[in-house]
Amino acid sequence: MYKLYISIKKEVLQLINDKVGLLIMFAMPLLLVVIITLIQDSTFKLVKENKISMLVVNRDAGAQGKKLTEMLAHSGMFTITTDSTIAKASIKSELLKQNRNVALYIPENFSDNLRQKASEIGTLFLTDLGVKDSASKSKPVKLTAIDFFHDPVLQDNYCYSIIGVVQSYLQLIENNLMVENMYTEMGDGKTPASLKNVLSQNQVAITKTAATNANFDIMPNATQHNVPAWTVFAMFFMVVSLGSNIVAERNNGSFIRLKTMPTNFWMVLSSKMGVYLFAAILQVVLIFSVGKWLFPLIKLTPLTLPNDLMGLSTVVLLSGLAAVSYALLVGSLAKTQEQANGFGAVSIIIFAALGGIWVPVFVMPGYLKTISQFSPLYWCLEGFYTVFLKGGSWNELLKVALFLLSFTGACLLVVFGSLKRSKII
Amino acid sequence: MGIGIDIQHIIKRYPSATRNSLEGVSLTINPGSKFGILGPNGAGKTTLISIICGIIEKTEGNIFYHSDKGEIEYKEFRKKLGFVPQDYALFQELTPKQNLEYFGALYNLNRKQIASQTDYLLNKLGLATVADKQVCTFSGGMKRRVNLAIGIIHQPQILILDEPTVGVDVQSKNAIMKLLDELNANGTTIIYTSHHLAEAQEFCNEIALIDMGKIILSQTMASLLKEHQTNSLKEVFLELTGEEYRDSNV
Repeated sequence: MYKLYISIKKEVLQLINDKVGLLIMFAMPLLLVVIITLIQDSTFKLVKENKISMLVVNRDAGAQGKKLTEMLAHSGMFTITTDSTIAKASIKSELLKQNRNVALYIPENFSDNLRQKASEIGTLFLTDLGVKDSASKSKPVKLTAIDFFHDPVLQDNYCYSIIGVVQSYLQLIENNLMVENMYTEMGDGKTPASLKNVLSQNQVAITKTAATNANFDIMPNATQHNVPAWTVFAMFFMVVSLGSNIVAERNNGSFIRLKTMPTNFWMVLSSKMGVYLFAAILQVVLIFSVGKWLFPLIKLTPLTLPNDLMGLSTVVLLSGLAAVSYALLVGSLAKTQEQANGFGAVSIIIFAALGGIWVPVFVMPGYLKTISQFSPLYWCLEGFYTVFLKGGSWNELLKVALFLLSFTGACLLVVFGSLKRSKII
Repeated sequence: MGIGIDIQHIIKRYPSATRNSLEGVSLTINPGSKFGILGPNGAGKTTLISIICGIIEKTEGNIFYHSDKGEIEYKEFRKKLGFVPQDYALFQELTPKQNLEYFGALYNLNRKQIASQTDYLLNKLGLATVADKQVCTFSGGMKRRVNLAIGIIHQPQILILDEPTVGVDVQSKNAIMKLLDELNANGTTIIYTSHHLAEAQEFCNEIALIDMGKIILSQTMASLLKEHQTNSLKEVFLELTGEEYRDSNV
C-alpha cells in the first residue's frame, strides 16, 4: 500500500512540476471555452438581439417599395437606412463604406410590376370562375428581381435567412395586391379594411421546441454546447503531458531500471493512469465551474448541470479513461518526446474536428459522418450531449459506454504490445 | 555476504542481428568480489549485464545465482540486486529526496528505512545541501551521484554498474569510487563496466575481458598483471584486443 501511495505521490509531483503540461491541460481549455462561447454567443445575439443594418435603395416610383421598406423596419430585425439617390452600380462600394451588413435595391418599376402580376393572376382566377371571358386574358408578366447585396464576411446561411424574411413580406404584399385587384375587377371597389387586417395577420406562428426527453428543462445554447465540447478536447489534450512523460521515462532508462526492481510495472503504470484520470476529472470540475459561476459575470448564459449526475459522472469517467489510454498509446509508440507532442496534438485536433467539437457532425457530408464515428471525441461528446442537452437515459448511454470502453481496451492492448516489444514488461 | 553468479555458455542473438552478440560466455563471479567486465565498444558488455539483471532474455545457456544459503531464484536475486545504468534513470523534475523516496519504496523499504538511508547517502555523496532541489538543475557529476544513490538505497548484496563514472569530474568520481569500496567492504558484490582502464585497475580485484561477444580472459587483477609483466591494464587490454577501431560492430 505504501508502495502504491509513493508511486501516486511521485506522479502527482511530476505533474505539478510540469508547468507547460499544466498550462496546456488547464489554462488553455479554460481560455478556449470562454473565448469560443463568447464568440458564438455574440453571433447568436447578432441574430437574436442586435439588429441587422440594412441599406435600402428604393427607386420605386409607386407605393409598394415604400411599403416593403416599412414592413422590414417594423419587423424589428433591421436598422433601415434609406437612400434613393444611390445608383445600383455604386451599392457595393456604398455598403462597405457605410459598414452595413446588407443592402436592398428596389427597382423603379417595382410597384407597377407587382400590380401587373396581381392583375394577371386575378384575371386568370376570374376567367376560371367564369366571371370574365377568356379573351380578356393578358400577356404573362415577368417580375423584375429585387437585388440583395451583402457584406462578403456574412455566411451564406445568414444571408438566406434575411432573404427568407424579405420574401415573406413580399408574399404578403403580393397577396394584398391580388385581393385588391380582384375586388376592383369585380367592380366592388376598395378591399374592405377588415379583410386587409386579416390578410396582414394570416401568417402561421411557429413555436420552437428542442427535442429533449420528458421532464428535461435545460435549454440548448452556446454554453450548453461549448462547455462539454471543450472539456472533452481538454481531456484528450493531456496527450502532450502524459505522452511525453511516458517517452521520457522509457528513454531515460527509468522503465528498464524498474525491471531490475522487485516491483510490478503495472502498479507503476496504474498509478500514472490514476493520477491522470484524476487530473481529467479536475479539468471537468474546473471548466464546469467556470461555466456555472464565471460565465454569468461576463454576461454569458450560465452552465446548467443535468439532473442525472450519475449519468454525467459515468460519461466523465469513461471519457477520462479513453483520454488517458490514448495518451499512453501515443507515449508507448512515439520514439521521442517531439514525436509524442507533435503527433499527439495534431491527432487530437483531427479527432476534435471529426468528432464535432468545432462544427456539429450533422452538417458534415455523409462520408465524414461515417468517419467521425471513429473519433473517440465524437463518442465522448455524444455522451455529454446525451446527459446535457437531451436528458438521455442509461439505455442511450450504453452505446457511448460500449464504444469508449472498447477504445480504452484497444489502446491498452497496443500499449501492452508496444512495451512488451521494447522489453519493458 | 554478497551474491555470486555462475554464467554458463550464454548465447545471445537479437532478432534482426546477423551474428551473435554473446558467443558462449561463461564466467564465475565470486561473492564479495569487485568484478570488472571490460572490453571495447560493441564487445557485448551491456548485453551481458542486461542478461544478468534480467532486463533481456538469453538465447541459450544458464545463469545460477547463489547466496551464502545456496542457490537462489531470479525473483529472490532481484530483491538483493542494485542496478546503476549508464543513463540518468531518474526523474529530473523531482528532487534527490523525492527520487530516493520513490525508488526506496519500490525496493520495499518502509518510511523509516527510506528516511535514514536517504540522509546517509545524500551526506555521503555530498548532496545533502541540494536534497530539495530539482535534479534537472544539477551538473552531470551530481546526477551521477543521485543515480548511484538510487541503486544502493536498499543496501543491495550485489551491485551492477554500467559506466558509473562516465562524464563526471574528479571529485564526483572520487566520491563514487570511495562509496563503492565501502559497500564492497561490507560484503556487497560489485560488477562494474567501464572504459576507464586506470580506474578499473585501481578498483577491481577480478576482471573479465570481453571482445566480439567472447570472453578473452577472466582472472584476478594481480595475476593478470603479473602474467603480462606490466603495471598497466591498458597495455594488456590493447595487447589482447588490438588497436583497430570497432566501429563496424556498432
